[in-house]
Amino acid sequence: MSDLQYLCDIHEVREDKATIVQIGKRSIGVFKLNDGSIHALLNLCPHKGAALCEGPVCGTTKETNDYEFEYIQRNEIVRCAWHGWEFDIKTGEFIVDRKIKARKFLTEIKDQKVYIQLPS
Amino acid sequence: MFIVDCDCHNYWCDARVLEPYMDGLFKDMFVRGERTGPPGAFPHAHRPWFHPEGFARKDINPINEDDNYLIMKEKHLDLHNIDIAILTGDEPIEASTLANPYYASALCKAYNDYMIDYWIPKDSRFYGSMVVAPHDPIGAAEEIRRVGGHERVIQVLVSHGANRPYGDPFYHPIYEACHEMNLPFALHLGGQGGVNANPIGAGPTTFFWETHALLPQSAMTHMASLIAQGVFEKWKDLKVVIIECGVAWVPSVLWRLDANYKALRKETPWLKQLPSEYFKSNIRMSTQPLEQPADVRHLWATLEAMDGKNTLMFASDYPHWDYDAVNKINIPDDWKENVYGNNALEVYKKIKRQEKAA
Repeated sequence: MSDLQYLCDIHEVREDKATIVQIGKRSIGVFKLNDGSIHALLNLCPHKGAALCEGPVCGTTKETNDYEFEYIQRNEIVRCAWHGWEFDIKTGEFIVDRKIKARKFLTEIKDQKVYIQLPS
Repeated sequence: MFIVDCDCHNYWCDARVLEPYMDGLFKDMFVRGERTGPPGAFPHAHRPWFHPEGFARKDINPINEDDNYLIMKEKHLDLHNIDIAILTGDEPIEASTLANPYYASALCKAYNDYMIDYWIPKDSRFYGSMVVAPHDPIGAAEEIRRVGGHERVIQVLVSHGANRPYGDPFYHPIYEACHEMNLPFALHLGGQGGVNANPIGAGPTTFFWETHALLPQSAMTHMASLIAQGVFEKWKDLKVVIIECGVAWVPSVLWRLDANYKALRKETPWLKQLPSEYFKSNIRMSTQPLEQPADVRHLWATLEAMDGKNTLMFASDYPHWDYDAVNKINIPDDWKENVYGNNALEVYKKIKRQEKAA
């Protein structure tokens, strides 16, 4: 079972940085990607507990086989505010070790408002 | 136990033993040119630190060229039941300090021919390191292809003092040649001076003992560079052997490299593993001079952190002043088979175990 929890209006969500919303004890970062999709991550880095979502939103380099630099996932990466670990906003995964994940919430948009599913 | 000594120095009394192996312009320079010492000195730029006692053990006193082998046989190989000794030359790696890389390459080439001609046939336990001038990467690659196929030439050797870190693409022709000839690439403490102007961070230290303790700094740079520049992605099977550069620093540098890589992976998108994983698969450290803390548990914990059972290889550094004797290496008993021999046999595939000395 889960409850739908209102976070913010969709026009409040920017593409260049997270919108931070406090829900009870939880701090949550809301992101809008270039394709318009909305994502929500717990604002808590699994590395050292820092404010993950307050770090810069940016892209990263594609894995290559030589000295090539292909910049990908523009605005789909959040770098933790403290140590710069890169997390994929779509999946919550830490790019260097994808077993490590930031907590991700399922989002729903209703009437231009952003909701997440919280465990009841 | 099968013992491979990964750092056994074959000395000469006089560098003029190279004359028969030189020709043309560079022989003329070697014979008639300005000398860096008395007749018989090997041409190289000198360190600004002079060993107050000289490098050699004081019980090793060759008079004739052939004494160098006879004393080594008696006081090292036979005494300690060494099964295989990997010859690492002595002065030739100092060619890396010369500004003229072509002269440096000519000296290395002469040394390689001398080593193959004079040293290798003397003892069935000998395998040789061929020396190259790293600041002449094209010439070095040619030399690797010229003599690297010899059945008892088992690695390419340079000094750890260098113009620039060894991961730099400037050096990559050397690794391509090592890969082609299936040879490990080794760097041995040395080459401080001349064009290798920055062996110590923050500027020159004052005393010899002080400096000698700090020389591993350059090896840290090379290790980080080889990993970061993706040398082990381009040549996945390449083994790099770091000789005489200390050991206990390795885990702390790997911890730092791993931590930084986790944050800034995007700078080096060609890497596919953590720096510490490349270390474990591709880099081997020789033991001498193994650090000597007051409480050996501190050393062992450190060695465990670098998977020392699989990454360390015994080396004596015969006949130098900081020599480690075979029976004086303080490592866990259940590592000894690996560290004294098996790890080296994994790296140096040309060594056949059945070649145990009679």
